[in-house]
Amino acid sequence: MSQREYHIVVLGAGGVGKSCLTAQFVQNVWIESYDPTIEDSYRKQIEVDGKQCILEILDTAGTEQFTAMRELYMKSGQGFLLVFSITSLSSLTELHELRDQIVRIKDDPQVPLVIVGNKSDLDDERVVSRARAFAVSQSWGNVHYYETSARRRANVDEAFVDLCRQIIRKDAATSTIRDMERGSRRQRDRPSHRHRTHHHRGHRGRSQRPQGISCSIL
Amino acid sequence: MSVVVMPPMTRTSTSSSSSYVAVSRQNTISSHDGRSARQSKRYSTALYLSMSAKEKDLEIEDDLARAQKIQRDYKAKISSQSKKNFVLEKDVRYLDSRIALLIQNRMALEEQNEVASHLEEASDLQEGFFPNDEKTQKYGNLLFMLQSEPRHIAHLCRLVTMAEIDSLLQTVMFTIYGNQYESREEHLLLTMFQSVLTYQFDHTQEYSSLLRANTPVSRMMTTYTRRGPGQSYLKVVLQEKINSLIELKDVDLEINPLKVYTSMIAKIEEDTGSVPEYLPKAVTAEQAAENEQVQAIIAPRLKMLMDIATSFLETIIEGLDETPYGIRWICKQIRSLSKRKYPDAGDQTICTLIGGFFFLRFINPAIVTPRSYMLIDDTPSEHPRRTLTLVAKMLQNLANKPSYAKEPYMAKLQPFIQQNKERVNRFMLDLCEVQDFYESLEMDNYVALSKKDLGLSITLNEVYATHALLEKHSAALARDDNSHLGVILQDLGPAPAQLPRKENRAINLPLFSKWETAIDDMTAALDITQEEVFFMEAKATFVQILRSLPTSSSVARRPLRLDRVAEAAATLKNDAVMVRKGIRSMELLSQLQDLGVIDRSDGFALLRDEVEQELVHLGSLKEKVLEETKKLEEVFRTIRDHNTYLHGQLETYKSYLHNVRSQSEGKSRKQQKQQVLGPYKFTHQQLEKEGVIQKSNVPDNRRANIFFNFTSPLPGTFVISLHYKGRNRGLLELDLKLDDLLEMQKDNQEALDLEYVQFNVPKVLALLNKRFARKKGW
Repeated sequence: MSQREYHIVVLGAGGVGKSCLTAQFVQNVWIESYDPTIEDSYRKQIEVDGKQCILEILDTAGTEQFTAMRELYMKSGQGFLLVFSITSLSSLTELHELRDQIVRIKDDPQVPLVIVGNKSDLDDERVVSRARAFAVSQSWGNVHYYETSARRRANVDEAFVDLCRQIIRKDAATSTIRDMERGSRRQRDRPSHRHRTHHHRGHRGRSQRPQGISCSIL
Repeated sequence: MSVVVMPPMTRTSTSSSSSYVAVSRQNTISSHDGRSARQSKRYSTALYLSMSAKEKDLEIEDDLARAQKIQRDYKAKISSQSKKNFVLEKDVRYLDSRIALLIQNRMALEEQNEVASHLEEASDLQEGFFPNDEKTQKYGNLLFMLQSEPRHIAHLCRLVTMAEIDSLLQTVMFTIYGNQYESREEHLLLTMFQSVLTYQFDHTQEYSSLLRANTPVSRMMTTYTRRGPGQSYLKVVLQEKINSLIELKDVDLEINPLKVYTSMIAKIEEDTGSVPEYLPKAVTAEQAAENEQVQAIIAPRLKMLMDIATSFLETIIEGLDETPYGIRWICKQIRSLSKRKYPDAGDQTICTLIGGFFFLRFINPAIVTPRSYMLIDDTPSEHPRRTLTLVAKMLQNLANKPSYAKEPYMAKLQPFIQQNKERVNRFMLDLCEVQDFYESLEMDNYVALSKKDLGLSITLNEVYATHALLEKHSAALARDDNSHLGVILQDLGPAPAQLPRKENRAINLPLFSKWETAIDDMTAALDITQEEVFFMEAKATFVQILRSLPTSSSVARRPLRLDRVAEAAATLKNDAVMVRKGIRSMELLSQLQDLGVIDRSDGFALLRDEVEQELVHLGSLKEKVLEETKKLEEVFRTIRDHNTYLHGQLETYKSYLHNVRSQSEGKSRKQQKQQVLGPYKFTHQQLEKEGVIQKSNVPDNRRANIFFNFTSPLPGTFVISLHYKGRNRGLLELDLKLDDLLEMQKDNQEALDLEYVQFNVPKVLALLNKRFARKKGW
């Protein structure tokens, strides 16, 4: 069976360690240098529950001046790693807006997502308590919360693998529905990693018009 | 709008003395020279003029003065227009986040009403007043203090949350220091920046996290770079480069081996129908990079990318003098703060931090998302978008020179870094080479105090919001109740609530200090002597006389003979003002002679030289003024276009909201008199011209016979029909819902297929808005 490819997007405020986490996960290295990201992409093959899958990981800019790029990332991503730093309360607060935007764009409150509190090695500078971060994860519908240290490579794989598992589950559920639908109506071929862009149509019960337009030749 | 500190005339001779750094010339600040040896207390003619009570008398009508007037008008227009845009952008952002909910009809009526309130016109505020004079006076005291002592707002900026910062910044950057080309306001704003930056440096442990987080400071930086001068710079320096790249729609410069491999496989499959077995579909990054075909594809792309990035870099380096003073000054602060915090830091470390501001927060966002910086009209297509991202990544790598290439394929671009690293470091250090302004700021503040008509154009809600923030954080801001801020806040009492938009008013608030009285005697305040005041007055008067006399006049010949100039003016017929100036200048010559400042025997050389230099400077100034005005004109046009675009967005949301509301009300009110609008007829040619038709399959010779009818049977619903001349029935009819169009636009789906022709979605929306905007009920 061919390997599945999944798209993961790493989001979060500037300087929380998104790139360091990603580099640890993908390349097993700790990056020390001052190197703000604009947009980096990686690929990694991993085994999750006995299944081989390929992860396409998009590491994004935390710098707020680049927010205009976010929407595109959210459209293409299937799972999201929302990273903050336990040494900065505002970096946790910023995640709310990101999560809102993801849910809106995906039109799916159950979108695969994990919250990551990075820099757990800097415990004496901690300003976000576990309880507080956990409360946020609860309020988002029991989203999983991981505390990681990219520097020590603690909990890094766990966070990514969890996210991957969520995507696989979602993917399986969607393809079942798709298979059921296929009987009545041929679905246009789409790459499996692409989310349908018109998903919210269902809420208005007008899914019978994929272009939003009805044409009638008179 | 905003504070009027100096009379318009004073711009004439801003940099004639080296103690005064003119922000009005901020783009060419480096031309500042230290020519005068008597500079320590030699305040400029500008200062003198601003002190003078006889402003009316001093007005001159020559080419320079006229050019300067036009320039001032543009500056004022840009300042007020960019504020309007800031407010509109805030609204559009808000609505943008709500529109999806609206689309899904998930919004409660209550919230719909709130959204509706955001749609009410904000730009045409009515003039108004505070409820009573006492309030006017107290708020006048408060705002005077906030404006003249930037530390309070700087402190506040550190205390507020990210949620509060937008409204604070609106008031601070577009109102309190809203006059973007006024040196005093600009300087005070920069002082505020410095205070906030200093705090960040002092409170950041690790060097690698400096200036990285999104804080009120970074939001300030964004907002600041979006004011007129920053906008103007991006346009002048980057626009052309970006546009020429965008036009290369089909040029794929991807160099990530994985992506190159994937599209190569796809191409082979498309061309031959199958993929040979030695090319597996899924490969690792290493396998892809080792593939020879992939390497052959990438090699020329690397070269092209390096050429493109180099040309961007060159433009940026050449634009050193165009770089706005304030942005350079911030770079300078970053340099000095880093040196203070890390005494052992080398140039490389410092350049990394400067790059973290200049490239990361100013240049590269504009390169990566040029549309949101008003540099291009449409979102770039896929390939140019990627190329721009790669260019930005290269420039950022060059600025930071990381020791480790996170993406291995980027290492292939190392030659670009090697070739340019010294150049870019040099450039970033050059950026820091700008004058400080503290001395002139102090003076500007005196001048402000000497003005009796200091005023601020502000809205009631801005005043109340600022008051509320100060109140909320008063414990930290005014620890001592007897501090000036504490006293004023106690005087004011609790902050009033925000007014509904309809009741918000624009007011003109007179500013004055509660403690200091206006300065009548500038000589005392500035600690300058009487002889210096005479000297400045003499210089200013001679310059004015010479500007008013025809250049052909014999007394205008060099070297100037000041006594003759004075006499010529004093004996001029039919010009009482000139006569008075002539007599005054004669008096001044003799007074200065008596004081021993100048000497008749050497032809008053000291004064003469300064007058001549001033005139030379003014001569070249005119060219500069004209040149700068041209740029300002362009900036103004851009931000006005952007304003139109934002209004268009709001209009679209308005009609959408109207649609939603009338649907939800429809049940109860039973479609009261829903009248059908249209049909409006458009010819093929018309729609093609307006860009509504972006592609047509109709043969050229038939196009003249095609026309379209647009009808709106219900709000939010449209029918477009395509007709052929002479036939009764339409060939094709299309049912459109506004929300579908909106959604297509949101998804960047630009083409609306009508079989014979293809419509452009945004253009269709614009057309529908123009034709069918139902005025009632909004």
